[in-house]
Amino acid sequence: MAVKEEGDTSQQGKKSRSRLILRLGALLVAHSGLVSVVCCAAGIIAFILLPVLANNTYISENALMPGSADPAFSSQEVLDANRLTMDILNRGAAKASGIEIAKLLREYIVAVGAESYYHKFVPRANKFHPLHFFSSTTDNLDLPANPSCGSFILNAVGIIRAPRGDGKETIVLVTPYNSQNTTYSDAVSLGIGFSIFSLLSHVTWLAKDIVWLAADSRYGEYTTVDSWLKDYHGPAFPGETSRIVDDACFEENNSDSLDHIKVEGHNSYVYKRAGTMAAALVLKVVDKKEEERDSLSIYAEASNGQMPNLDLINIAHYLAVHRQGLRVKIGSIIYFLKASWVKLLGEMLQHITTLAKRLNPKWKFDITSADYVEGTATLASSIYYQALGVPTGSHGAFRNYQVDAVTLEFSPRSSLNNENVRSAFLLKTGRLIEGVIRSVNNLLEKFHQSFFLYFLTAPHKYVSVGIYMIPFGILIAPLPIVAAALFSSNNGSSNKDGSWKWLQAAKVVFLIHLWAMITSLLPYVLLQLPLGTPSSFASAWAAVAICFLLITYLILWSSSIDCGWELLKSVMIVAAAIGLSLMSVINFSTAQIGAMLIVPMCLLVKPARKQTQGVFAKALMLTSNLALLVVAFPPAALLIAKTLFGASGNIDIGDFWEWAQILWSWNSATYMYLLWIHLPCWVLCLNIFLYPCIGSSSKA
Amino acid sequence: MATRDPSMICCFRLLFLLLFSVPLIASSSSWASMHHNNWAVLVCTSRYWSDSESGYPGFKFSFCNKLPRYHIEINSCNSKLEVERFNYRHMANTLSLYRTVKRLGIPDERIILMLADDMACNMRNNYPAQVFNNENHQLNLYGDNVEVDYRGYEVTVENFMRVLTGRHDPAVPRSKRLLSDEGSHILLYMTGHGGDEFLKFQDSEELQSHDLADAVKQMKEKNRFKELLIMVDTCQAATLFNQVLSSLISDDPICSLHYALLPHDCAATSVLDFGSSMSQYLAYGYAFLPAFKHILILQSPGVLAIGSSMKGENSYSHHLDSDIGVSVVDRFTYYTLAFFEKLNMYSNASLSSLFNSYNPRTLMSTAYYRMDLYQRPLPEVPVTSFFGSVMKTIHTDAAYMGLSIPPKTEAQFLPGDGGNHQLRIENEPDLEKDGNKQTKELHCIYHEWLNLLQERFENTDAELLFRYGFGTMVFLLTISTWLLA
Repeated sequence: MAVKEEGDTSQQGKKSRSRLILRLGALLVAHSGLVSVVCCAAGIIAFILLPVLANNTYISENALMPGSADPAFSSQEVLDANRLTMDILNRGAAKASGIEIAKLLREYIVAVGAESYYHKFVPRANKFHPLHFFSSTTDNLDLPANPSCGSFILNAVGIIRAPRGDGKETIVLVTPYNSQNTTYSDAVSLGIGFSIFSLLSHVTWLAKDIVWLAADSRYGEYTTVDSWLKDYHGPAFPGETSRIVDDACFEENNSDSLDHIKVEGHNSYVYKRAGTMAAALVLKVVDKKEEERDSLSIYAEASNGQMPNLDLINIAHYLAVHRQGLRVKIGSIIYFLKASWVKLLGEMLQHITTLAKRLNPKWKFDITSADYVEGTATLASSIYYQALGVPTGSHGAFRNYQVDAVTLEFSPRSSLNNENVRSAFLLKTGRLIEGVIRSVNNLLEKFHQSFFLYFLTAPHKYVSVGIYMIPFGILIAPLPIVAAALFSSNNGSSNKDGSWKWLQAAKVVFLIHLWAMITSLLPYVLLQLPLGTPSSFASAWAAVAICFLLITYLILWSSSIDCGWELLKSVMIVAAAIGLSLMSVINFSTAQIGAMLIVPMCLLVKPARKQTQGVFAKALMLTSNLALLVVAFPPAALLIAKTLFGASGNIDIGDFWEWAQILWSWNSATYMYLLWIHLPCWVLCLNIFLYPCIGSSSKA
Repeated sequence: MATRDPSMICCFRLLFLLLFSVPLIASSSSWASMHHNNWAVLVCTSRYWSDSESGYPGFKFSFCNKLPRYHIEINSCNSKLEVERFNYRHMANTLSLYRTVKRLGIPDERIILMLADDMACNMRNNYPAQVFNNENHQLNLYGDNVEVDYRGYEVTVENFMRVLTGRHDPAVPRSKRLLSDEGSHILLYMTGHGGDEFLKFQDSEELQSHDLADAVKQMKEKNRFKELLIMVDTCQAATLFNQVLSSLISDDPICSLHYALLPHDCAATSVLDFGSSMSQYLAYGYAFLPAFKHILILQSPGVLAIGSSMKGENSYSHHLDSDIGVSVVDRFTYYTLAFFEKLNMYSNASLSSLFNSYNPRTLMSTAYYRMDLYQRPLPEVPVTSFFGSVMKTIHTDAAYMGLSIPPKTEAQFLPGDGGNHQLRIENEPDLEKDGNKQTKELHCIYHEWLNLLQERFENTDAELLFRYGFGTMVFLLTISTWLLA
């Protein structure tokens, strides 16, 4: 067939037998319409099938050996935890000052015989830094002009040096708590953290140091942990101004604790370090009370869709399920759990897989409808949080330093006020954490065996990069083919003009991208202006952006008409394909979601005024174009998602500003994707849709 | 010159006969040399508390040497590099065997102990400076009198080969050398991570079956052992000594010929059979004469080998110590030790009873032994001939045997039920009896001569004897000078 197609071309006489790959390429280009429909459909179907293709997780690193040692965490440690919990609740209630708990914790740490110090810092708000994407160390240099003295945060940190270890590596435990409003579960989580710490202070098997950070999360736990990590990794100069300011603040503000400081000596503020961090665990306790079993929620997503090594999740899951009998949950989007179409899809897939299994028993695509629904909901949440690029907890701060970290959130089956429930719960959680630490302690190297790029579809199921890249690849495969088809058809029709007409189109595309880039940097300028509310910021942003766009079009009008819409579309598609491919490397989930919107839009878009045979076909084309153009506009997409996933409340234009603010304050690459790739592509598509359609009359 | 020819030819014939017989005598004497000492080389080759050797994410090697309940087999175990989890047990294996052979009588100076890592002092060890091979923690294998000869990064393939072949740097102390001789029985025990025809040393090197075969061949050539028992506890252990047989026989034309003719008992042919096949060999002419020595040695290399698992099989650990958090002993070694725990150094349990004690079901692998290079029937070989030591004590009245011992007393002792009266530890009943007879004979002849001389001294005048002797010496001197002239 390929040979036959080739025969149609005019070059048959010159080289009847060109290379196979060229002929195949030509065949694909000639049938670009069919290819793009098939590829798009296949890509989306394969994406929907991901929960079916998920594999069971396994512990890849042999050295971890989870659960091979009996936990030493006993009722003695439970008593320790209870003692601290009660102390915190009593003292915290008596004095509501922020540092009371930190002082208490330090007393406890010192009593155990471990090293201890206070870490203190003044939290600063994250600001928009146009050039700080992907760099982990933000605002190191800009000090607040006038640091308010009441707002410093004091964390108690304890370090156990491994008795026979070499001190090169360390495992970090973080227990966030709110010092202003200490809840009961906060106190319990501190109790667990301390009981493990005190247990580890006298075990003989430590090969890595243990650092326990009791992070005061008054201004957000991420900020606290991030600032501690920054100090841990950054060099500390004694003459640093911020430190002096902090010191002054601290000493002035806490005259009541001054005597205490004098007793302890200034040494208690000297920042101490242990070795390189091998792994970090963030422990939290929440009182949900509606479970039938004690449960563990694992949060792993860090910024820009980075994940910790799958082995870390695996050992936590293995120990929780097979040793401590906890129920392990990971985040899922409730909408998908309830949506009837997902259920229907699941039932269909169940039928198909049973049929497939009857054909060949070796195929292991065995999935029940319920599993599929749950897998889809979990996968959706996994993709959503990765695509958002915002960490799901303070473990995200560790990922900035390439440290594998997860948040383990425990929730008891009934209220923790019950003594028996609490002891059983503490015993389980303590043993689980001890087991994880002992596993990590066995490591000789960093985590490297298992996956870093994966989605979870269940706590024990994952989709690896090798599988999820395939749907994406299929989805964006038609883009270059269609671009080539459009380009060649246009060149074929107007051969005499020479082939340099595409430069006009390229100029248009380039300028639109430039406009998008300027738009993305506008908030930096706007933030300098004294605008009050988020909605005014948002409207100012939109107004300025539209102004710039209009100016651009005034410049470009002639050339954009001149080059013809097909060439414009062809170059736009190429730009979109390059952008999506780049984004898939940076943050795959964003690229995947973006591709699902952009690719059909790019492929389908046609001028509205273009003549086509048949009213029905034209109407179909028009409606699909319009629908895609609406859906693919980022604010519109956000609105639709909001209504779809049941977020209530009135829609305010300020929401967009706040949303964008979240993205840039977390240094999310999704912001760049939206404004550098998605938005210009959408504008160009709109441009093509509204194309006057005077000159061109090609049949493509 | 020409006149001397007949006599010279005669002389040459005589000389030739002598030359011909010398190697025969020498080699037969080396063959017949007694088993008079025991050596043990115990090697643990694996490093690190727990191994993390593996391939890439997503491609899973099967775990080997681990507890069956963790056995998540994704592809078959035939992949070249087997991946194990727990290396503690290798040290525990080796130390347990060290303890056993010491208990059964091999002294420390005849044990070369090679340990690739110091698990006892590993910071992950729950019991600092102690090593256990059982979760009951009753027996600390790393007690006060453990003498490790090669430790840590000293345990390399090179050093191992040097120990076996005895090619050391002059600076290497005697305690680190295998000073065995043609009468030695050597136990070579190796454990670690292995695969098809290799054994991993440390994390960087491999001992291949060819290397081992070469070392054994060199040892044989250098008369460094009489009998050698190779015991290997790794995955696919049986593959490690695949090359030993071929290396020992292949490059020798006659033996390989013989092997082709009589494949079953080439290796098992003893000196007694030699006479019967002598004419056959002589038919090939004198061209093969220099090879006779080889034939005689290679008739019976005396190499016995046993491995914990066949090709394609894993060697599993026996149980996990939940305090230390690792497996502490391998199944093969565990059952070997269980066998030896019942024995003391006087027991007569045979090697075949040891080899038959391995149950493939409890071992979860097939213990494979080959004895085609070994001629003694296994049921007659006591385990103590490798795992114990020859300790022969012959009762004498005085501290030194010499002129003062009258033969009468000896005669009194020997005819009586000698087994009871002689204080002797019977390790090797057969050989020892043979040896004893030989010594007895030598003993008697020597004493007869002495007695004769003594009688002469008593009866005749010593001065007369001296004169006669002097006269004879002068006479001999003159004759010899005349002959030379």
